[in-house]
Amino acid sequence: MTDVTHSIEEEDFGPSPREILKKSILAHRSLLLGFGAIVIIVLAALLAPVLAPHDPYLQDLSIRFTPPVWQDGGSWEHILGTDHLGRDYLSRLLYGARISLTIGIGAVLISGTIGTTLGVCAGYFGGRVDMVVNYLITVRLSMPVVLVALAIVAIFGGSLNIVIMVLGFLLWDRFAVVMRSSTMQVRNMDYVQSAQAVGCSTLRIVLTEIMPNIMNNLIVVATLEMAHAILLEAGLSFLGLGVQPPLPSWGLMVAEGKEMLFFEPWLIMIPGAALFILILSINLMGDGVRDVTAPAGKN
Amino acid sequence: MRKKSLLTGAALAACLATSGVPALAGKSDDTLTVAFAKQLENLDAYSATAREMIVIARHVWDGLLYRDPATGEYLGNLAESFEWVDATTIDFVLREGVTFHNGEAFDADDAVYTLNWVSKPENGVSNQGNVNWIASAEKTGPYSLRLHLKEPFPAALEYLSGPVVMYPNEYHAEVGTAGMGSNPVGTGPYKVTSVEAGKRYVFEKNDGYFAGPKGTAEIGKIVWRTIPERNTQFAELLSGGVDWVWQVPPDQAEKLGKKFSVSNESTMRIGYVSFDSAGRTGETPMSDIRVRKAIAHAINREAIVNALLKGASKVVHSACFPSQFGCFQDVAKYDYDPARAKELLAEAGYPDGFTVPFFAYRDRGYAEAIIGDLAAVGISVDFGYLKYAALRDKVQGGEVPFQFMTWGSNSVNDVSAITSHFFSHGKDDYALDADVKTWLTTADTSIDPAVRKENYAKALSKIADEVYWLPLFSYNVNYVYSDELEFTPYPDEVPRFFQARWK
Repeated sequence: MTDVTHSIEEEDFGPSPREILKKSILAHRSLLLGFGAIVIIVLAALLAPVLAPHDPYLQDLSIRFTPPVWQDGGSWEHILGTDHLGRDYLSRLLYGARISLTIGIGAVLISGTIGTTLGVCAGYFGGRVDMVVNYLITVRLSMPVVLVALAIVAIFGGSLNIVIMVLGFLLWDRFAVVMRSSTMQVRNMDYVQSAQAVGCSTLRIVLTEIMPNIMNNLIVVATLEMAHAILLEAGLSFLGLGVQPPLPSWGLMVAEGKEMLFFEPWLIMIPGAALFILILSINLMGDGVRDVTAPAGKN
Repeated sequence: MRKKSLLTGAALAACLATSGVPALAGKSDDTLTVAFAKQLENLDAYSATAREMIVIARHVWDGLLYRDPATGEYLGNLAESFEWVDATTIDFVLREGVTFHNGEAFDADDAVYTLNWVSKPENGVSNQGNVNWIASAEKTGPYSLRLHLKEPFPAALEYLSGPVVMYPNEYHAEVGTAGMGSNPVGTGPYKVTSVEAGKRYVFEKNDGYFAGPKGTAEIGKIVWRTIPERNTQFAELLSGGVDWVWQVPPDQAEKLGKKFSVSNESTMRIGYVSFDSAGRTGETPMSDIRVRKAIAHAINREAIVNALLKGASKVVHSACFPSQFGCFQDVAKYDYDPARAKELLAEAGYPDGFTVPFFAYRDRGYAEAIIGDLAAVGISVDFGYLKYAALRDKVQGGEVPFQFMTWGSNSVNDVSAITSHFFSHGKDDYALDADVKTWLTTADTSIDPAVRKENYAKALSKIADEVYWLPLFSYNVNYVYSDELEFTPYPDEVPRFFQARWK
């Protein structure tokens, strides 16, 4: 239904909540921009095997440091050039998107599950449960994430799974804090009390009455934490403790390009820009979702 | 290209703005500014073990002898002449008229004091290997002394011309190690005039230097700066804050070569891949010789040398550096032949390859190139990149089935410093071959060069036949410096600024 074909009923009753939402989404430029960029990156990651012009692991030492096509000596054969082992940079960038997204989504699934469970329990039950969860959150907040991640990865060695696990188990605090306070707000609503009065089970109340009403907060936190996890992974890989070669992580690509910083700056600029765009668009989308779903938060 | 130069320009501007050191040095004010990565805790020649300290020691002090880097001949330095009395006794006649930087005259008292002092373990010389062969020294005249060795030790001359430098006895007795570390005094071609610990040292030409085999220095002043980060070194070099850097990776050296002089010199360090042939880590594919041969055929060492190491590096086939005494070269060689590698893997029962842990501690790029070659024949690895100390402990603990390592033989030009170290059933030995051990022991303890050579040859041949190691390549060092400077590097990796000249 578009604006051109107003029907009488709608004019009578005003726009439906769904239509208001749709309108505010379409009016929110940065949300659309962020969402669009993410869709492109996700598609690039999913379709990497089709899109990548070369095998990202195939090394050819005779064509090392081929510059990207817009520089002297570049060619369309390797649009973004080749790295220090002669591997196609564009292909590695595309496959690198998979690593970044896998880590972002994986870490957020783990941390979101932990954090939401704890937060909702604390918010819904209150009392001792709340105390215990608060204690856990305090403990978690007192640990410096990067330092702990570095230590764990240094002990167990860096690999994709370990990085996902470590970040997942370290980044649940914001979920817990936000879910706890949101649940507390919703818990005393009439519809929750009605459900309790009717005799619904706790699980059912949480799943069907509370969760849908705090979902928008969850999504906002999830996007922020996803960006956080992706950046942390890049940091760990840059330090040599994250994803191990030959996996094409963007952080690793920056680390590998660092040596040639003065002479081939594009080696860092390309994965750096990719990382920048991904984080920016995730944050834009997160902010946008918050603005659109909770108008009070607009200022 | 315009973009690139803009960026470099911006980086340079940032560096110029932040560095507090005047950017203009060099020939015009007779000051050579050199940059080194490692921070030295003090300037006492016997406390620090870093290579940087060896370099400084050669400039500030002198040994009794000096090895001519071009001919390898041992010449008298602070000693005028020397003579082996028997296998454990050497007589020295000292040079007269030499004075230390503080005016103290050099004579037999100084030399005897220094040799006796360093020989006592309780005095805490940090690298005991440099001095633990000295029994004692006695004065036989105002300018002569006799040195007693604990046991026959032909390498004594090497140490006396390198790390064992002469201290002034009165000054050292007064200020001790700490005083020597903060305010060093020697006889060398350069004297220390300013010390900012761990940051910046200034050396000035010693005008009263005796005309020994080192020659006389020409450059008036050397400013030594500690710059740990490589890109910062380059920024300083490009902005004129530094005139000389070394250990520049080949790619960067190539780029810098457009604006600066670049010298490349081989080093004694070789890279190698080691396999757990003896099964110390348990059952792995590495205990099958066909797998080891397959890997030897899979790694394109030639390409790695040509594309990554470049310079004076060469592919090595024998488990030692070619110039080392006893480094037998006519051993089994494995050419790059991925098809043959696949056949061998299939014969060994791995037609689809396998996955194995693989470790390295330096040169990640080389390790990645090796990993890439292995992947091409179906071998995939769980790559672990660790700090040297961590990996060494893991290796010695028998936990590493497959690794890319390097060994510099401590610059000792003899096979005993490498092959015997790794194949005599020590902690680093993953072959545990009894024959090899017997041959190496015979060679190490014999004084007959022919016997030594023959036994080393047997050991090295078996190591190559069994592929206990896959030797990869020798390393090289790039020196990048101002076009105004004339500088000659040597394979012992000790830059000699006292031989440097302005053009």
